[in-house]
Amino acid sequence: MQDFDLIETPENVELERRLAGIGSRFLAGFLDHLLILVIYLFIFIPFFVAGISVSDTGFSDTSEIWLSAILILIAFAVFWGYFVFFEMLTNGQSPGKKYVKIRVVQMEGGGITFSSIAIRNLLRIVDFIVLYALAGIVMFITRKGQRLGDLAAGTVVISEELPNYSSRYDQKRKVLDNESVTAFALEATGLKPEEYRLLHNYWLRRNELNLQARQQLLPQIMRPIFNRIGQAMPDESLEVLEEYVEKIIINANSEENKERK
Amino acid sequence: MTPARFLKTRIDAWNRLEDIIGKTGKKGLKGLSDNELHELTRLYPAVAIDAGRAKMYNIDSVTRKRINQLAISAHGLLYRRKNVRYFRAIYEFFRNDYPELFRRLWPYLLLAIALFVIGFLGAYVSTTLEPSNAYLFVPGKLDVTDEDSGITSRDISERFRRMEKPPMAAGIMTNNISVAFRAFALGITAGIGTCLLVFYNAMMIGGIAAYFSNYGLTFEFWSFIAPHGVLEIFAILVSAAAGLRLGLSLAIPGHLNRAASLRTGAIEASLLVLGTIPMFVVAGIIEGFVTPSYLPGIVKIVLGISVAFVTISYLMFTGRRRFSESDIPSPQKISESLIL
Repeated sequence: MQDFDLIETPENVELERRLAGIGSRFLAGFLDHLLILVIYLFIFIPFFVAGISVSDTGFSDTSEIWLSAILILIAFAVFWGYFVFFEMLTNGQSPGKKYVKIRVVQMEGGGITFSSIAIRNLLRIVDFIVLYALAGIVMFITRKGQRLGDLAAGTVVISEELPNYSSRYDQKRKVLDNESVTAFALEATGLKPEEYRLLHNYWLRRNELNLQARQQLLPQIMRPIFNRIGQAMPDESLEVLEEYVEKIIINANSEENKERK
Repeated sequence: MTPARFLKTRIDAWNRLEDIIGKTGKKGLKGLSDNELHELTRLYPAVAIDAGRAKMYNIDSVTRKRINQLAISAHGLLYRRKNVRYFRAIYEFFRNDYPELFRRLWPYLLLAIALFVIGFLGAYVSTTLEPSNAYLFVPGKLDVTDEDSGITSRDISERFRRMEKPPMAAGIMTNNISVAFRAFALGITAGIGTCLLVFYNAMMIGGIAAYFSNYGLTFEFWSFIAPHGVLEIFAILVSAAAGLRLGLSLAIPGHLNRAASLRTGAIEASLLVLGTIPMFVVAGIIEGFVTPSYLPGIVKIVLGISVAFVTISYLMFTGRRRFSESDIPSPQKISESLIL
């Protein structure tokens, strides 16, 4: 199977979807089935508590008789309806899928329809053969990682985990990646090369540090620089200082400046 | 425009779109104010185009993924199914669509019936000729051959009467619906699994029927089976027809490609099998409450046949929409619409 899938939007733009991996789908399935098991336990606790056994003919009164009939219907509804119910309710995410951050969508894009949900979950019992081994094999073979139910329903399962960026500024950071200190950057910022490199490296690595360490480290880095320039430190707070660093770095790398150069 | 300026000019739009998408959360579009909704519809196409431009500008992969993800999330919010009113939809389905679907798919039902008849007659003839063959067809748990309990119609009816009716009706109902769902799902094996399931059940019934006739209990057997069995077997065969529709759409795709054929087949087949649920509910209630009752056998048989008759009439004759003259567009109208 591939990692990505392309869909074409009505705007004629191709968007990439990240397909859910086989591993995360099995994890989601495992969690869902675990939940079903828990629900079953809750359904049958009344039986154990009341000491009723289904095979026995000796029911003590009519309410127990009807209770047992209702429990049978509920157990049936849970077995066949669990996935249908949740995928309808949450637009393609059963609780397990929600936890793993994956979602069922139509192959052509957009939210999943009822008939697709019904098909993929009715076919689940075939996919379930040997504990989803059949589903695993079919997912491995098909390009979009679909099990039999997905193939018939025309659905794919996509990953909704956001790409690994920790703040909005990180995309600026990436533009800055792998850049050596140019004479221009020094001119634009008025820093010495080692100062600039220090700030740049701090900026690149700040997300690997915890907040306390940053709070401690950044004023230590900044104080000598401010002293040299002859400015007063604006504030000790991390937010203000990091914004300051960011401005310096963007300024040093901005395209307009390079064009001017 | 340079990549850096592209980033600089567009980042506000992305951040804004991210905020709006974040706001939708669980409520979906209902979580947005009118202004935000309006903004979303304006931002989405622009950001979708940004996803393409980001590729062109060769922007770093993390940013590209982010734009992509934003566009996909917004796409998912905007292009989704219409909200349906479920009860209305279910009513419409059984009023019109289901009988229509049934009549469109009758060849598959015919195939299922043929399989059933062959299996039934095969087991019946074989057991009539050689009574011990019954053991091949009758499952052990229904062990009617138990010497101690004896084989009279009274014994078997008594067994059923001893059980409590509501749980039995519920159990029978759910078990039969499961069999129907399985008959559909096994269709994915190009129909082979469905055929085997029909064949297996047909041989079982044929074997039991012949076994009872061998003991001269033909009438008792049929008065026991008929009240619920006619409808039940019919519904199972309809589900099997759904399985065959699914399987043959995969095996013989016709002018479609195989994947597309499977998908169209699956939609029709799944609707066909879902429509059998009410039949099983009726059959289950009859089996739980009427079959074990003390009504005379002939009444039970008549009841069973009439229930099946009503069902088949519903499937054959309802849902035929009448078209009035005004529904048929005149040639002039058609040409007008073509020009427009």
